[in-house]
Amino acid sequence: MQLTQQVNRVNKKLAGWQYGLMLSTCLVSPWLLAKPITVQVKDAGGEAVKDAVVWFESKQLPLSANTLQQAYKMGQKDRAFTPHILVVPKGAEVSFPNYDSILHHVYSFSSAQPFEFKLYRDSPQSLNFGNTGVVELGCNIHDWMLGYILVVDSTYFALTNGQGEATIELPDTPIDSLTMQVWHEGFANLDKPESKTFKMLPTSNALIYQLDQSLFKPKEDFSDEFDDYE
Amino acid sequence: MNKATLNILAVPSMYLLFAGLSGIPILSHAAQHKGQIQVSWQSSSAYPSWYAWGASVNRFGQGDDGVNISRALLQSRFELGDSWSAHSSVQYVPDPEAKVGFTELFAEYKPVVEGAYQPQIRVGGFYPKMSLENPDIGWSSPYNYGYSAINAWLGEELRVIGIEASIKRNGKRLVKPSLHNWQWVAGLYKGNDPLGAVLAWRGFAPHDRQSVFNEVLALRPTAGFMTPQLSKQAWQIEPFTEIDGRFGYYVGAHWSYQNRHDLRAYWYDNNGDPEVLNYKTGQYAWDTKFWSLAYKYKITKQTHVIAQAMAGNTAMGVSRGVDNDFDSQFILLTHRWQQFRVSGRVEQFRVQDMDHWAFDPNESDGGAVTATVKWRYSKSWRFGAEFQYLETKVANRADDNLPTRQIEQLWRLSGEYRF
Repeated sequence: MQLTQQVNRVNKKLAGWQYGLMLSTCLVSPWLLAKPITVQVKDAGGEAVKDAVVWFESKQLPLSANTLQQAYKMGQKDRAFTPHILVVPKGAEVSFPNYDSILHHVYSFSSAQPFEFKLYRDSPQSLNFGNTGVVELGCNIHDWMLGYILVVDSTYFALTNGQGEATIELPDTPIDSLTMQVWHEGFANLDKPESKTFKMLPTSNALIYQLDQSLFKPKEDFSDEFDDYE
Repeated sequence: MNKATLNILAVPSMYLLFAGLSGIPILSHAAQHKGQIQVSWQSSSAYPSWYAWGASVNRFGQGDDGVNISRALLQSRFELGDSWSAHSSVQYVPDPEAKVGFTELFAEYKPVVEGAYQPQIRVGGFYPKMSLENPDIGWSSPYNYGYSAINAWLGEELRVIGIEASIKRNGKRLVKPSLHNWQWVAGLYKGNDPLGAVLAWRGFAPHDRQSVFNEVLALRPTAGFMTPQLSKQAWQIEPFTEIDGRFGYYVGAHWSYQNRHDLRAYWYDNNGDPEVLNYKTGQYAWDTKFWSLAYKYKITKQTHVIAQAMAGNTAMGVSRGVDNDFDSQFILLTHRWQQFRVSGRVEQFRVQDMDHWAFDPNESDGGAVTATVKWRYSKSWRFGAEFQYLETKVANRADDNLPTRQIEQLWRLSGEYRF
């Protein structure tokens, strides 16, 4: 949710900059106008799906420098990854602040970016994510901690909110191929997002995407500070 | 040196120890320390405490009703490379004489593994993780101040000095994910031969006093000690010492589901040879074995229920002259509301005398109801109050012409600082 807002804010900022450029050059270029598209993700049963990642890929979409240079953070707070899912563009730098007073031993075996950090409050670390894919995070001290960094080849992405909606502002540029990708942590194969290809920018600014697969729904987690004792 | 002076000296000595540990030539950023200093007032028992040679099963016996430092501890973790870490727990124990010592000191191997199965090893001196009541700092209980009789006994007489190996199966990381997690544990150790002695001569006692390594626990000299059969037994117990040269072992299994249900089953056998005696220290090897079953269920995120049951046998002396069965059970309900935690525990415990040494009665039984309120005033400061109704019947109290049955209503107020 927070991330969605952040992304929207970035895109709005971008839009303003583009608007200024447009005025100064007196060019009427239709691609410089941002076009907000709201995608609603539904499961096979028609229910809205929260925390699905939606992004658009196209070689013709200009990459947003602002989105690339964001300060991305995957924190650890109250023995949980915060946010649970972080979407970053390929090449982004992600820092791993530890807000807890205890050690976290964060690692990933995901082929997109295997790594291992011992993180204390006062020893922040960061890492560049240069390959696209899903990076599943774990903590070797708190087994139940699970988080995802989704590295995408795009700067146009958002997470769905409680209503299953993700709003992404696309530059209104002429394109002949656009792929919408959708990913959820409940997918059977986390390395395989679902996708839909468009020949041009969708004319409607409200799309509905129904998932092809049923989701593995994670049950409520009851872990607390005393579960360290294992 | 009187007790008050020792109390005053204890805190600086903890800091010195802290400074000493921090100075160990390991990367200084790769260490983490947590500590606790707890001050308590408690109503005292009618008799002197067991460690003051008395007949009370209350930690704070006759004359101990002042304010004292009930615990000060420092728990540390040092990184020793990628997969190894060292852990220590140093405690200040004020009673009967102030002392500072280790309650745990071990190295742990816990590699990051790809896949669902993770091996782990612990080497050193430590508690087996058979209980669910003591997950807080320094193996203390976040629920009641006084531990259940089961865990109070483990805290005073049981410690593994050896090696423990385990395999954990993390359900989430299986190819076909599961909400069931498992861990299988096996331990091999030396020491801990006199385990069971306090149950035989004092009986179970719910308290929060943990023994440090090299602890010597005083025993009330009952009439049995004056007989030829028990004349070589010292009037004190050195619970973590090795007497017979044999290895002890334990095996256990942990199961958890959704981090909501937790079950731990253990079989512990110190494999002591009850006829072997260390003449110098007056310590026998006891043959003590028991099973323990602990269960925790999180009814909601705030309300949890914890239960544990234990049953076993302990014996010492020629032809198992002292031979006792023991068992205990408790159920604990705890609720966290904002910065408060309210916990109630009901328990019973029993030692049955199975031998024919009529001159040394070991029969005891009892039960307790304990209610505790804890208030987390800030991150560092915590306060709380506890009431305990405690009923015990210990056969050998008759040796001193004391009534065997004792009913006590005990209050305790505690304040603590954590860092």
